[in-house]
Amino acid sequence: MSASRPRALEGIRRATADDLDAIMAIETSVFVTDAWSRELMQAELTAPHSFYLVVERDGAVVAYSGLRAAPSVEDADIQTIAVAPHARRLGLGRALMHQMIAEARGRGARHVFLEVRADNPSAQQLYDSLGFERLGVRPHYYQPDDVDAVVMRLTLQPVPPTVEPQPPVEPLPPVEETPTVERSAPVEPLPPVELVETAPSNGGFRQAQPAVPAVGSAQPAARSTQPAAASARPGAVAAPLVLGIETSCDETGVGIVRGTQLLANVIASSMDEHARYGGVVPEVAARAHLEALEPAITEAVARAGIRLDEIDAVAVTSGPGLAGALMVGVGAAKALAVALDKPLYGVNHLVGHVGADLLDADGGPGRDIELPTIALLVSGGHTSLLHVRSLTDDVELLGETIDDAAGEAFDKVARVLGLPYPGGPQIDRVAADGDPAAIRFPRGLTLPKDMAKHRYDFSFSGLKTSVARWVERREDAGEPVPVADVAASFREAVADVLLRKAIAACVDRDVPRLLLGGGVVANARVRQLAQERADAAGIQLRIPALSLCTDNGAMIAALAAQRISAGFGPSGLDFGADSTLPVTDIQV
Amino acid sequence: MLLAIDTSAGTSVAVVDREGGVLSESTTVDTMRHAEVIGGMIRDALAQASVTPGELSGVAAGMGPGPFTGLRVGIAAAKAFALGIGRPVVPIVSHDAVALERYAWGHIGPLLVVTDARRRELYWSTYGGVDELGIPLRTGGPGLSKPDELPEAARRAAGHASALAELPRYDATSVSAGQLGLLAEWLYAARRPFAEDRPLYLRSPDVTPSSGPKRVTA
Repeated sequence: MSASRPRALEGIRRATADDLDAIMAIETSVFVTDAWSRELMQAELTAPHSFYLVVERDGAVVAYSGLRAAPSVEDADIQTIAVAPHARRLGLGRALMHQMIAEARGRGARHVFLEVRADNPSAQQLYDSLGFERLGVRPHYYQPDDVDAVVMRLTLQPVPPTVEPQPPVEPLPPVEETPTVERSAPVEPLPPVELVETAPSNGGFRQAQPAVPAVGSAQPAARSTQPAAASARPGAVAAPLVLGIETSCDETGVGIVRGTQLLANVIASSMDEHARYGGVVPEVAARAHLEALEPAITEAVARAGIRLDEIDAVAVTSGPGLAGALMVGVGAAKALAVALDKPLYGVNHLVGHVGADLLDADGGPGRDIELPTIALLVSGGHTSLLHVRSLTDDVELLGETIDDAAGEAFDKVARVLGLPYPGGPQIDRVAADGDPAAIRFPRGLTLPKDMAKHRYDFSFSGLKTSVARWVERREDAGEPVPVADVAASFREAVADVLLRKAIAACVDRDVPRLLLGGGVVANARVRQLAQERADAAGIQLRIPALSLCTDNGAMIAALAAQRISAGFGPSGLDFGADSTLPVTDIQV
Repeated sequence: MLLAIDTSAGTSVAVVDREGGVLSESTTVDTMRHAEVIGGMIRDALAQASVTPGELSGVAAGMGPGPFTGLRVGIAAAKAFALGIGRPVVPIVSHDAVALERYAWGHIGPLLVVTDARRRELYWSTYGGVDELGIPLRTGGPGLSKPDELPEAARRAAGHASALAELPRYDATSVSAGQLGLLAEWLYAARRPFAEDRPLYLRSPDVTPSSGPKRVTA
C-alpha cells in the first residue's frame, strides 16, 4: 500500500469565477471548432441554476463539467463536460458524471438529459454504463462539423441510494473514455421530448420548421454563440409533421398535419354498408377499415404533397371506440411506425375531437385553442362534456350519456318515423318544416333531482321511447303521424338538453368558452341553438368545420403534434385498443 | 428477404430469406393480444435478423382462414408496413404454411389441416401432397365446418379416391410466419400465383338486416 504512488488527483470542487481562465484554456483546446465564448462561459458559471465542477490535478484545472438543474424541476441537463487531453483515461469524466448526477438528484430532478456527438462512441459507452438510455438522434446538431447528436436520458430513482456516499473521485482503472465533447447550448431547459425510440444513424426527428426559440433564457448570448444547438434543444420541435389514423367507428380517417396546419384529411366511410342494418355494425365497420386504410394513407400522402418517410411521427386513435375497429388502426399504425422508424403516439379519440379546433379546414396555419374551455362532443357513439384546461395534459370528463348517444337516438327515431339511416340528416331535413314546440318530449336528466346527481350526464333512451310511444298511439288511433312536427320536437328536445347542460357547465366552472365536436354538430338546429344560448350567456362558441367535426385522422394527428411540441415522448409499441379509454388518458 | 406476419391463430412474425431460410421468428399462441404485440414483434424480428426495413423486398401476409378480429390486425400491419417501405404485400393462405411445415417434417401424402374458428367451428384445408419443389398442393378448402361435419366435408372437398380412408389430420394451434414467408419466397421463385388479396374470414358479419322498428307499447 505505502509503496503505491499517491494518486495525483487533488479532487473535485465547485467551480468559481476565478476558474474561468483555466476552463477557457481547456474549452478552446477541446472544442476547437465550436468553443463557447468567454462571456458565455462566464454567464454559465454564475447562472442561477448552474452547477459547475472542476477537477484539479497538481494544482491545475484539468477537467470541468456543468449541470443545469432548477430546484423542483424534474428535468436536469448536463450542459458540458471536458477533460484536458493529458488528463484523459483516468476516470475523471466518470467521476464528474457521478457528482453531477448526485447533485441533480439532490435538487429533486427525476431525469438527467444530455446530448453526445454521434461520432464519439467511447463517451456514449460511458453514459451507457452510467445508466443513460438513448432517446433519439438530432441530425446535424453539432455545427460547423455537421455531426449528429445522440440524446440520452438517465432516470433517477426517487429515493437516493443509501449504499455508500460517492467518493470525490472513483479509484477506477483507466478506461477508454473520452467524454470530452458532449455538450449542449446553455439555454434554459425546455421539457425534453423523446424523439425516436432507437437511435438509427440516419433517423431521428426531422425538424419540419425552425424550432421555437427557448423561452425565459437567462443567457441571451447563448443562441448567437451556439445557434445550431440552441434551435435543436429537446422539446423545441415547433411543427412536427404527423400522420394520424382514426378507425374508432365507421369512418376510416387518415390525416396529415404540420403542427396546426392541415395538409390532408382523407375520410372513407362505411356508412352506406350500415344503412340496411339501421346502425353501425362493428364487424362490418372493421372489415371496411381493413379495405380502406391502405388507399386512404396513400391518398393522404399524395394530397399533402409529402413523402411518407418525411413524417416525424405516426399517431393513431387507441380509444375509446369499437374494439375490433380500433385494432385495425392500431395494428397498421404500429407496423407503419416500425417500417418508417418513426415514433408512435396512441391518443384519445375524444380529446382528438377537441384538437380538431386547432386546424383550419382550408389548410391555413391553424390556431391555438383558447383555454380553458368546455367541450361538448356529440356523435353516434359519444355524448360527452369535457372541461379542457390543457389539450395536452389536463382534460376532465364532466359527464356523458348513461345510455344511448345522441346520434344513436337520431338514428332510432328516424327508424320510428320511417326515415333512412343515418338519422341525423334525415331528421334535420324533415324537421325544417315542423314545429319544434308541437309536442313536448321529455328532457332526460333535467329534473332537479337529476341535476343534483347527474348534472352533466345525458340520457336519450327515454326520449327515444317516448317518441315511439307517441307515434304508436297516433298510428293505433288511425291518425296520420305529423312527421315534421315529431322530428322538429324531438330534435328540439335533444338540442335543448345538450346545450342546457353544456351552458350550465360553462357557468358552473366559470369558463366563458364552449367548443362543439362530433358528427351531431352537423345538425343545423344544434348549431343554431348553441349560438343562441352561448350569445345569451356571454359565452364564446367555437365550432370547427364539419369535415373536422366528424371522425377524422387529422384531429388525431393534430393532438399528437401538440403532445410532441409539449415535449411528451411516444407511446411505445405495446399499447392496445381500449374501447373505454377515459378522457384523462390523452395519450396511452 | 421478406417480413412475414400471420395473426390467423396467435401472432407470428418472421424475417425470411430465400437463401438463408428463416432469419428470425417469434410466435405467441395468445389469441387475445394481437394488437398489443404486433408492433414489438415486428421490431424484434427485424432486430434479431439484423435487417433494416429498407432491405426487405416485400411483406408476406397470412390471409387466414382465421377469426376476424385478430386476423385483421396482421393483415393491416402487413399492408401498412409494405406501404411504409414501398414494397408489395404477398398474400398467402395461412393453412398452406402449416402444411408446408408438416411436409417439411416428414409427412407424406394426403393431409387435413385444421385450426380453431371459435364458436365451436373449425377451419380446414386438405392437401394431396407436395409438388416437385416441395410446395403443398391444396386440394380443398379453406372451409368452415362444425366439428362433427368436418371429416365428410373435408373428404368431399379433397375428392380423394379412397374417400373411406382416414385423412391424416393435423390440428394447428399456431401458424409459423417463418414457414409462411418461406412459402412466399418459393412461390415467387417458381412464379406461382399467390393467394388472393382478401381476408379469409369465411363467415358473414354477425348481423341481420333490420326488420323495422320494434313496438315499444304493448
